[in-house]
Amino acid sequence: MSVDSPIPAAAPGPPPSMSMDVVERDHNRMVLSIGPQHPSTHGVLQVLTEIDGEVITRAEPEIGYLHTGIEKSAENLFWTQASTVIERMDYLSPLSNALCYILGVEKLLGVTDLVPERAQQVRVLLCELSRIASHCVWLGTGGIDLGALSGFFYAFDLRERILDLNELSGGARMHPNYLRIGGLRDDLPAGFLDRLDALIAMYKPRMNELRNLLQSNPILQDRMIDVGIISADDAIAWGLTGPCLRASGVAYDVRKTFPYSGYENYDFDVVTRTEGDAYARFLVRLDEMDQSMRIIEQVRKNLVGGPIMADDTKFTPPPKETIAVSMEALIHHFKYVSESFRVPPGDVYSAVEGPRGELGYYIVSNGDNRPWRVRTRPPSMYNLQILKQIAVGELIADMVVMIGSLDPVFGEVDR
Amino acid sequence: MPSSQTPPAGSTALDPTAVRPAIDDARIIRTTPQAVRDELLALKRDGYAMLSDIGGVDYLEREPRFDVVYHLLKFALNGAQAARVRVLCGVPGADPVVPTVSDVWPSADWAEREIYDLFGVSFSGHPDLRRIQLPVEWEGHPLRKDYPLRGPARDRTPRPSFALKSNVAAGTPASGKTAAALQRQIAAARGQTLPPDPAPHAAEKAQAGNTPGAVATAGAATPQELGAEPNAARGRQLPKDGSK
Repeated sequence: MSVDSPIPAAAPGPPPSMSMDVVERDHNRMVLSIGPQHPSTHGVLQVLTEIDGEVITRAEPEIGYLHTGIEKSAENLFWTQASTVIERMDYLSPLSNALCYILGVEKLLGVTDLVPERAQQVRVLLCELSRIASHCVWLGTGGIDLGALSGFFYAFDLRERILDLNELSGGARMHPNYLRIGGLRDDLPAGFLDRLDALIAMYKPRMNELRNLLQSNPILQDRMIDVGIISADDAIAWGLTGPCLRASGVAYDVRKTFPYSGYENYDFDVVTRTEGDAYARFLVRLDEMDQSMRIIEQVRKNLVGGPIMADDTKFTPPPKETIAVSMEALIHHFKYVSESFRVPPGDVYSAVEGPRGELGYYIVSNGDNRPWRVRTRPPSMYNLQILKQIAVGELIADMVVMIGSLDPVFGEVDR
Repeated sequence: MPSSQTPPAGSTALDPTAVRPAIDDARIIRTTPQAVRDELLALKRDGYAMLSDIGGVDYLEREPRFDVVYHLLKFALNGAQAARVRVLCGVPGADPVVPTVSDVWPSADWAEREIYDLFGVSFSGHPDLRRIQLPVEWEGHPLRKDYPLRGPARDRTPRPSFALKSNVAAGTPASGKTAAALQRQIAAARGQTLPPDPAPHAAEKAQAGNTPGAVATAGAATPQELGAEPNAARGRQLPKDGSK
């Protein structure tokens, strides 16, 4: 080529840091980055995989793309305000997060017994509803990962109706901030129970449709059976909880083992399977939704009347109607809003069974009106971690099946 | 520089866990970095099969400064009662190193990395100790109590000049611009002119005066009490004869 050729020299490629880091070839081995912008990672997960042909030889999930510093924020908010940001962690079941935190604060205050019966029942009711809603998201998006698009609409329609109930009770669909230290913000509104009855009536036929669509689908079974097998010993060693642990044959459920909020009064089964593969986790979650509905029906049948807030204005706001007529109530209200209340020093570990497993809060108080430390035990993070073991030896195409079957929520993994 | 929202360090009880009320949620064991590994291994032999979580706490003024908190869980298997135990390992601030347990429980891998990332407590023997939540180039450990709430990076972020507080003209109301004022502003920007902003409710009163049923719309009486059409008081266009 002559010096004055009009054809320019080849443009330089992207700098090495952009291309060579992510994909490099070494004979048959290749490093491939899946995510963080990938629809099947259910959020912002990056999995660095080493593949030999189509078989995964190493996998390392990289998290932190959604880190929002919620634990740091919670340390700088009042005890009452912190539950607002804490709800944002697991955004598919905000009520479980709020309940777990609030139970911990109530333990620190020593007022667990003051929470009225009705408030406890409504807490259980809403948490079980949000478990179903959360599993609906897993079921719908998990089906899409495998190409089953129609199940998504049936599952999300069911979830929409639960979110409608959330909106009715708490005023917001996703983050109602309805649970309060000492009880609930308001009583259930008029019309809530009718809508709940309608939901209970439509649940069984809808789940039958979903099961017909997905559970017995031979393509889905082909993709899920014997994929991502976790033995019971591995599940315990890696700290798995929730459906992932129960699908490996360990019958551990916080609601049964360490009951809270009156779960000992309800009749339900802990669903377990022994296969430990993606299909077992799929079936455990489906059966769990039915068990949740059993609990909801029992709560609906036995719902008592009465107050929804503990009767102690040292840690609850005084009833609104007393503020205009009582000087003490006005002072309490002012103090409650402007500087919250103080919690006796100490530390506590509070755990509930969230949709993804044991959700725990380790809360430390130094006697101030803000928590000193709020540490979350995020079930998704521990469930997701095992991916680096179960992915080895599987096909690259099954990666989305395994991620979907572990059901991580990245608001909670990264916090 | 600590943010104004950071509670003053002087208000901290030096060790809240030492004065804790009797809360029956777990057995509590206190230990040191030298003994923690043996303690945890003994608990594992004792049936505490699952390392449920590792958390960190910074007590700032206490010595040892940090607590690394291990939550262990025993399942109800073989007739044993399910139980929790919490191991509080006090870690000195001058030399924050704890031996790893990620070889015993693989679940400790990410939890230890997170404590290293957010508290700066390192774990000797960890195979892959690097930041997990924050980017590699991040400076500092945000969950330490002497780390400002908004972070040092925030102050350095460049902002356009119109977004700086010092450049907002004096006398600009903080908020509460009316829709009419906004429309005038938009019209002025387009070179159009609009009639001046009428006094509040002037249009409604003028309109209400034309409708027969609402002549007496004055004071606090509602249109319904006066027998007016509900729409009349809001200034809607109604037929001249007042019929529906």
